Amino acid sequence: MGTQTTRTSGAHTDGQPEARLDVGVTVNGAPKAVSVRPAESAADALRERLDLTGTKVVCGGGVCGACTALVDGRPTATCLLPATALDGAEVTTIEGVGEPERHLVQRAFAAHDALQCGYCTPGFVVGAVAFVDRWREERGDIEPDRPTIADALAGHLCRCGTYEGIYRAVAAACRGDFDKAGPATGQRVEAEAKVTGAARYTTDVSLPGMLHGVIVRSRHGAGTVAELDLTHAMNAGAHDAIVLLDEDRTVRWVGQPLAAVVASDRHTAELAAEAVHPVVEPQSPVLDHTAAVRAGARAVYADRSARRRAPSSAEGMVIPAPWRGNLRGPNVLTWLGPVAAQRIGRADARDDPRLVRLDVETAVQMHTSFEPHACVADFSDPAHLRLWVSTQAAGSLVTEVAQRFGLRLEQVTVHAEHVGGGFGSKGSLTMETVAAVGLSRATRRPVKVVLDRREELTATGNRPGTRTSVALLADSGGDLAAVTIDTHGLGGVSVGSAVAALGALVYGRSPRRARDYDIVTNAPPGTPFRGPGGPPVLFALESAVDEMARRLGEDPISLRRRWDGNERRRRLYDRAASLPLWTERASTVAQGGRIRTGVGVAAANWFYFVDPDTRVSVSVRDGRLSVASATQDMGTGSRTVLANAVAQVFEVDPHEVQVRIGTTGSAPHGPTSAGSRTTTSLWAPAVEAAEQLKRSLAGQPVADSPDREFTATRAADRRRRPLPLTVAGIQAGRQFTGAVHVAEVEVDTVLGHTRVTRVWGGINVGKIHAPQPARSQAEGSIIQGVGFALYEEQRLDPHTGATLSSNLEDYRIPALGDTPEIDIHFDEQGWEHVPGGGVGLGEVATLGTAAAIGNAIRHATGRRPRHLPMTPARMIELLR
Amino acid sequence: MSAHFPEDVATASTLLAGDETVVIRAGGTDLQERWGGRLPLATGLVDLTRVHGLREIRTEAGGTRIGAMVTVAKVARELATTYPALSLAAAGLATPQIRGVATVGGNLLQHTRCPYARHRDLDCYKTGGQGCPAREGEHSTGVLFDTSACVHPHPSSLAMALLLFGATFTTTGSGEAQPVGDLYDDDPRREHRLEGGHILTEVRLPPPVGGETGGYVRAISRFEAEWPLAEAAARIVLRDGRISEARVAVGGVAPTPLLLEAVASALRGERLEEATIAAASARAVEGMAPLPGTAYKADLLIGCVADALRRAAGSPRHGRADSDS
Repeated sequence: MGTQTTRTSGAHTDGQPEARLDVGVTVNGAPKAVSVRPAESAADALRERLDLTGTKVVCGGGVCGACTALVDGRPTATCLLPATALDGAEVTTIEGVGEPERHLVQRAFAAHDALQCGYCTPGFVVGAVAFVDRWREERGDIEPDRPTIADALAGHLCRCGTYEGIYRAVAAACRGDFDKAGPATGQRVEAEAKVTGAARYTTDVSLPGMLHGVIVRSRHGAGTVAELDLTHAMNAGAHDAIVLLDEDRTVRWVGQPLAAVVASDRHTAELAAEAVHPVVEPQSPVLDHTAAVRAGARAVYADRSARRRAPSSAEGMVIPAPWRGNLRGPNVLTWLGPVAAQRIGRADARDDPRLVRLDVETAVQMHTSFEPHACVADFSDPAHLRLWVSTQAAGSLVTEVAQRFGLRLEQVTVHAEHVGGGFGSKGSLTMETVAAVGLSRATRRPVKVVLDRREELTATGNRPGTRTSVALLADSGGDLAAVTIDTHGLGGVSVGSAVAALGALVYGRSPRRARDYDIVTNAPPGTPFRGPGGPPVLFALESAVDEMARRLGEDPISLRRRWDGNERRRRLYDRAASLPLWTERASTVAQGGRIRTGVGVAAANWFYFVDPDTRVSVSVRDGRLSVASATQDMGTGSRTVLANAVAQVFEVDPHEVQVRIGTTGSAPHGPTSAGSRTTTSLWAPAVEAAEQLKRSLAGQPVADSPDREFTATRAADRRRRPLPLTVAGIQAGRQFTGAVHVAEVEVDTVLGHTRVTRVWGGINVGKIHAPQPARSQAEGSIIQGVGFALYEEQRLDPHTGATLSSNLEDYRIPALGDTPEIDIHFDEQGWEHVPGGGVGLGEVATLGTAAAIGNAIRHATGRRPRHLPMTPARMIELLR
Repeated sequence: MSAHFPEDVATASTLLAGDETVVIRAGGTDLQERWGGRLPLATGLVDLTRVHGLREIRTEAGGTRIGAMVTVAKVARELATTYPALSLAAAGLATPQIRGVATVGGNLLQHTRCPYARHRDLDCYKTGGQGCPAREGEHSTGVLFDTSACVHPHPSSLAMALLLFGATFTTTGSGEAQPVGDLYDDDPRREHRLEGGHILTEVRLPPPVGGETGGYVRAISRFEAEWPLAEAAARIVLRDGRISEARVAVGGVAPTPLLLEAVASALRGERLEEATIAAASARAVEGMAPLPGTAYKADLLIGCVADALRRAAGSPRHGRADSDS
């Protein structure tokens, strides 16, 4: 095929004919001819023109490797490869790697559970195939060390943090452990679909006649929209356009959705969106947190009615609080608060060495789900709205969509077969879905809206930054005498910071006062993020406790053990205290030299949440066991939990159980995947329904049984719940979960570089229902904690409020080489009052990681880090 | 608007015909990211993928010639023994996937990684606007040597390493080989000084020097695959235990890659020992003019230079025995 000359055809923009070029390429052994645009990426050509959707696009900048394919045998980031460069090339995508037989790397990834949400997995597998094949050819069946693997796969990232599994899988594949042909299976029941690229995500959905929508966003950080003329979009090729701006016509942050346009393809829709030039009467955005609360600062929300529009960064309800300009709060959580304040005030006045005061800050962290927010809405039948959404909350989304668009619940169906991560950012009705539904309603055609990485790292929420002041007072006996914590949440235009309050729930029974404030600015809004408020407050509190141990001359684990009333965590302290990692740590004062090693500890607790209305049906369908609930699996293992529950009752291999989740309508109510509630909500009703089915079979083999189905709800906990009310599908159960993290760091005091070398995570959540996925999630939790501690930071232009960290180069998440050696210990006792004996771990497993790393840095360097992330710049400053 | 895929340099050159609105694409790793998969309106494209004769490395008596379309990976692989510092810098940049596609020519002529300049909605000198918003804004990755109105450092690690060798480049223009250093200046409005409509065709290196060693180090926050906060490359030739020739270049700290003659002169004639390295690397920040947010880079730069010299000397960077500073 020749691309010597330019052929013109296709869409027209501003009267300019767009060039198309013919490309001839061999893909997975078959010759293909495609017509591409000159600047089109090879990834887009593979996905959109050849429907090879196993290749994923995540960063669009050659950083994450999700789009990796073999081009003439070489692993290549196809998102940055011009499609025209494929001309004459031999390409192998993930779809070709495993055919006709699964590649041994696929078997290794599945067996070692080197995946969670699976969105990065095809790229990782392709990269690992190239590495493993070459390595074994050159070196034989020898296991490479971790730095070698990290170096070879440096162009790949995984947000779920499955790096430990990836190390294990690649090492095992190199050793030859997986040379025996066979399927690619592991404990995670959908592993094979994910390692072969067969798993379909919302971004992969394509319907006949489907249009593509793009959101028009504000380039101003503050102002009033005087004119929003969408005819320019129509002139630029859009089929239709809708307004998303609120009736108050006020812009409060750069990236705020104003409108959405729809066209026959994404490319044209982008051009049409850019053709919209809203006329904005701009105001100077309020961005500096100190200036925002000074007298005379312009209020981001001018009055009481405007304040009602403030989005919430909190989970659940926002508790009302007073406003003064841009300062909102406090929300106070107190037990003998005045006593606490008075004791601390007096101790301050007498310079009591047993008073520890600490001011710390944490940066804004982005969820960075690898599958972007995405929705395909099909409203071509006005009586029924079908949605494919990348969501953590398929069930509750039905309710939200029905309310917003004036439909009855039975008129809305949500599909979310595979979900490429969420971490809290996909827990409710978000703008891509609003836009897709609105555009589909306007056009009566299916509409797909997929956010790009820039939008994802700007406008889909974040873990707000914080400024926290903590004061801890110990009495003469070394017991905790008083605690005060004040946190200012820096959630941009969002409110509802609940950070300090969580710190009041960790230690003992002394007088305490926690006050939470919001400083409101024209920065993008926050939204719940894995253990909302937990990592920042624990960084403050656990740093202060560490400092107290130093003042008292006591071992930091021993001090926590004394102060902590939580019986479950005491067992974790005992175990942590006996670890060689802890007992053999060097003393700070003894260390000189450039590279300093330190070990730090931190504790954490979290709520036990459950959705008590969860129902699960277990059935025989066509002679097979089947289990269903209207929930979803965003990589956290809910498919496997359901399969395991049924398999345990029937004493069969979990892979024999068909799991039907990720779709509403026929399936009974299932939990939202948030608040660590999913596993504990699903397990017991699945077991109960399976037992009912088993009883009804009375010994008859499943294969011989006619179709039948049993649906069960979750039995009540054995002890009363503290709050007998369910809000938004979530209810707090009795007892807190617990975790203790011990982290070891190496600080290069010259280059300011901190490496976390080892982490032990002790976790008490009771019985573990899916061991391998649970371990993987706990490891990934720690890796996200490493990112929060060392790398991750949203950066805005201080003048315009534009997000500068809107790609995966400038927003840095941990990679393979940044992964410590991780040791997870599950303490499975203490949850006998819960049906099934276990609760969720997704949040408690991450919360204390950053605090432990901070304490390890203090131990290594003798200096206390006060501002996360501890970048080289901050480390150099700290050591000065 | 048109796209062309010429097969020889002469045709490519004719197609450009001095037209500055026509963009030249090599590996595409920088362009495709900036374009986001969309060709800017009214932009013509000349793609060099199929041009013959630009993908070879030839070592001859007079030196080594690297075609502009040679990939970064090939430089890393094939020049490891002859030009170690260059090979190490090539191996240390980006990721395996990028190194396998990105070219020498593209690396030298790539655009700034300043998040303001690359932001679709923001204007600055580099994008045809006025002023540098990073100067008064967020510039924590900015320069340590504030010598231009634009405060972001030059991104090319290869250019930095090529300075060590006095490398030259040729174009379809004058035909004269010019020093790689002449590709860059402090003019905030341009990415490089290559005249519009011309194609960089080749990079030339003088013959390899027997017994030379090289070192390369970048300071970053993670393990690898990150743009350097500061970086240094060093060449050392030892004769009878003394440094007979030394060159040190640095990047990530100035509007152009810098060759640090002051550091090199502190090395020549000395024994390669810790004291020499410390004294020489301290000179790396002579003349620095940090921005309010980049003073920390002084420590990193000194550290990188010292580490690059240690690596060139064959001593490990890490380990407590020899690493006090």
